[in-house]
Amino acid sequence: MKFIKNHLMFILPLMAILLGIEFYLVFDRTTDSYEKGLKEGYTMLVVTKKPVTLQKLKQLNPHIATLEAIKRDQIVSEVAKGVSKESRKEILAALPYFYNVGLDSYLGTAALEKIKKDLEKDATIKRVETFGSSYSSAYRLFAFIKFLLKVFIGFMGIVSLFLIIKQMEIWKYAHRERMQVMEIFGAPLMLRAGVLFKVAIFDAFIATLLTSAVFLYVKFVWAAQSGIDLMMQKQDELFKMTDMAILLGVALLLVIMAVYTVVFSSKGVQE
Amino acid sequence: MSNVISAKNLTLAYDNGRKEIIKNASFNIKKGDFVFITGPSGSGKSTLLKSLYGQLKPKEGNLVVGGRDLANIGSRQLQELRTHMGIIFQDYKLINEWTVAKNVVLPLMIAGYSLDVQETQAHRLLKHVKLSEHADKYPLELSGGEQQRVGVARALAKNPVVILADEPTGNLDDYSSNVIWDLMENACQQLETTVLVVTHKIPTIFSLPYRHFIIESKGVYEVH
Ligand SMILES: Nc1ncnc2c1ncn2[C@@H]1O[C@H](COP(=O)(O)OP(=O)(O)O)[C@@H](O)[C@H]1O
Ligand SMILES: [Mg+2]
Repeated sequence: MKFIKNHLMFILPLMAILLGIEFYLVFDRTTDSYEKGLKEGYTMLVVTKKPVTLQKLKQLNPHIATLEAIKRDQIVSEVAKGVSKESRKEILAALPYFYNVGLDSYLGTAALEKIKKDLEKDATIKRVETFGSSYSSAYRLFAFIKFLLKVFIGFMGIVSLFLIIKQMEIWKYAHRERMQVMEIFGAPLMLRAGVLFKVAIFDAFIATLLTSAVFLYVKFVWAAQSGIDLMMQKQDELFKMTDMAILLGVALLLVIMAVYTVVFSSKGVQE
Repeated sequence: MSNVISAKNLTLAYDNGRKEIIKNASFNIKKGDFVFITGPSGSGKSTLLKSLYGQLKPKEGNLVVGGRDLANIGSRQLQELRTHMGIIFQDYKLINEWTVAKNVVLPLMIAGYSLDVQETQAHRLLKHVKLSEHADKYPLELSGGEQQRVGVARALAKNPVVILADEPTGNLDDYSSNVIWDLMENACQQLETTVLVVTHKIPTIFSLPYRHFIIESKGVYEVH
């Protein structure tokens, strides 16, 4: 009973850290395309007197990456329904040119204003609409949520780390006598700490397996029944076998660091 | 160079040097010497032994064991030096979660001997201390005298250069005491092992020539 309790006291905080990491990985993957959409789906509207080329716009501001003309014929046919062919031509001649302009990266409101200014300097460009505020607020909100999540996971990680260190203290007492006797007979560190390493590595595997099991359950059982579109579409992304390697790596790193702290702090006293 | 242990003006202290236990002690111990150390309780007998296996650094003076200056020894070198020592404690210091057989071969395990060798040696050693039938038991299943015989077997396992024993027969029955004294005499006589034994009573039946140190009022004196 005590044996199981001792292991759980170590495995649970370790699992908390692993769950946090895996949750972040999954969140990052499933929202990746949403984030990309927010970033790349953005275009500004540019209105010109004469046709322009991408080349020319790039010279005005290097952030400009794509240029797509909005078909004027369609606009006219929408606007001028039931108007004669002659008048239609006139309207078409008077109508300015409209373009969707894409950027090479995500930019803040200030940078968007700068682009707007750069473009409007040119005489052929009549108007630039950045839609800046609505675009950036959606992205900002997302970035903020992501940041909060990171902070929360980080905080959880720190608390768990303290719990692990606390448990290490208990281990230290349980193993101190044996390690000291072995030290007096000249045993090297690896031999003295052998059992601790075995236990810790065992616990790292268990914590990894349990964490993986939780996510496999979410992936194959819960996601399918959840009725949440995002979950069902991205079922594949929910847990990947490579994640297991990442989790195991992190778990091993943590426990090995923990064991080293125990071993070094229970060295024979030199009164 | 035949000094296994050499102390010159050795001062030992606890509490960062504030509490002096031994002051200005000088003595030499040669290979194959058998030394009894006696003295009132609390005089510093265990403290002296502790310094000899590097658990307590000298405060002042020189202490050389096996050619190593213990005042300035590195942890690797101390580790190596300790593999040539057989240490016996009054409170046995066995590893209670290990079987008797595994306890006995700890020094062989540390030296990296194979499990096969460890097993045959455990068998041989336990026969010496008359505990053959207890090999697979755990220390706490044995009597005090039996546990100490395990401790002695462990100390002898790798034919150490020096045996340091702290009241090995402290409160043991005569049978166990006799077995232990016999083993130490044999080691000294046949393998030229240097033996230092702290004891409150020198055994009456002892066939080897021996030296006798007394610790009193912080000094270490030899009785002639
Ligand atoms: N770790 C320690 N810290 C401080 N004082 C100690 C320590 N160990 C022993 N002493 C003190 O040193 C003195 C000698 O102790 P010890 O060497 O154990 O005596 P002996 O073995 O001769 O009975 C005693 O007064 C004891 O209280
Ligand atoms: Mg003592």
